Amino acid sequence: MISFPADTENELMELYKKKKIALEGNILKVVDTSNPDFRKYIEELKGKDVEQRRKRLTITKQIQDQNKDLTSAKEANESLMSDLQEALAESKKAKAEAEKIRDLAVEDLDTLQKRTQFELIGMIVKIALGVIIGVGILTTVIYGLAIISDKDTQIIGSTWSNMFGILLTNAFSIIGTIMGVKYASSDKKE
Amino acid sequence: MIDSILLVDDEDLFHLVFEDACSILDITLALQALNSSDEADRLFKNWFVEGPVEERPECVFVDLNIIGSSFDGIELIRKINHEYGNGVVIGIISSSDDYQEIQKAKSVGAQFWIIKSDEIEPRLIDFRKDYEGYKAKTLPFKVYR
Repeated sequence: MISFPADTENELMELYKKKKIALEGNILKVVDTSNPDFRKYIEELKGKDVEQRRKRLTITKQIQDQNKDLTSAKEANESLMSDLQEALAESKKAKAEAEKIRDLAVEDLDTLQKRTQFELIGMIVKIALGVIIGVGILTTVIYGLAIISDKDTQIIGSTWSNMFGILLTNAFSIIGTIMGVKYASSDKKE
Repeated sequence: MIDSILLVDDEDLFHLVFEDACSILDITLALQALNSSDEADRLFKNWFVEGPVEERPECVFVDLNIIGSSFDGIELIRKINHEYGNGVVIGIISSSDDYQEIQKAKSVGAQFWIIKSDEIEPRLIDFRKDYEGYKAKTLPFKVYR
């Protein structure tokens, strides 16, 4: 504990009375005096000090709470941003997959259409070949019967000859078509 | 009343809270607050190994996680107790109540663990009642919840 001389105590009290300049802080806790007026002065200042500290403590605690709230809000915001970015990445991934599936489906549909077309062409070609071979055989048989039965073969002979020429031309045309179709389908597979 | 307290905590606002609470509750006459365990380590080295012992604090409150420091509060307590002479009442003041950390602090010689919260004053009042026991090293380790 410390104590001041009587005149210093009086000066301190005067200073406080006239100019409101006073001792403050923890020094007030170590001052000892036998002067009742100075004791009163010290007690008053102690009370003021406690009051000021209480105010400051309340405000500091409020700021601490606000800081905590801000920190929590910042963390929540960051977490939300992270979730959003993840969701965006997922969405992009899903879109890419959907586009890939759509492309595959379009490709499958295209292949299916082409396959159906090729099958139809194949069937037409087979029927056409059947008709050509059938007509060729029929004409040849009629021509042969005419020769065997010693009938006039002038008309049937020229007809057979013309027919065969036409049939051969058509047959080559059909073979060409078949080759073309096969070439196109083999190209597609590659 | 404790003559002097040293607080090692990285949170400046808590320095103010602690200082005001200690002053209002008449816990200490003088309080020094540091932000870094490195700075505290340097001072302790000076107080206990190289310099005059009368300048050292009577009681030390250390935060558990001191951001921006080379080591945490438990390591600081270990250094003070095992390297610089174990001459102060020392403990942790932290918002954590992790059991393993509490046991670690106890094992390096911490005498108390005060959990920080909005209402620190009731715990400081309890601590003040127990302080003489810590000073005489007769009181066992205690957690103030």
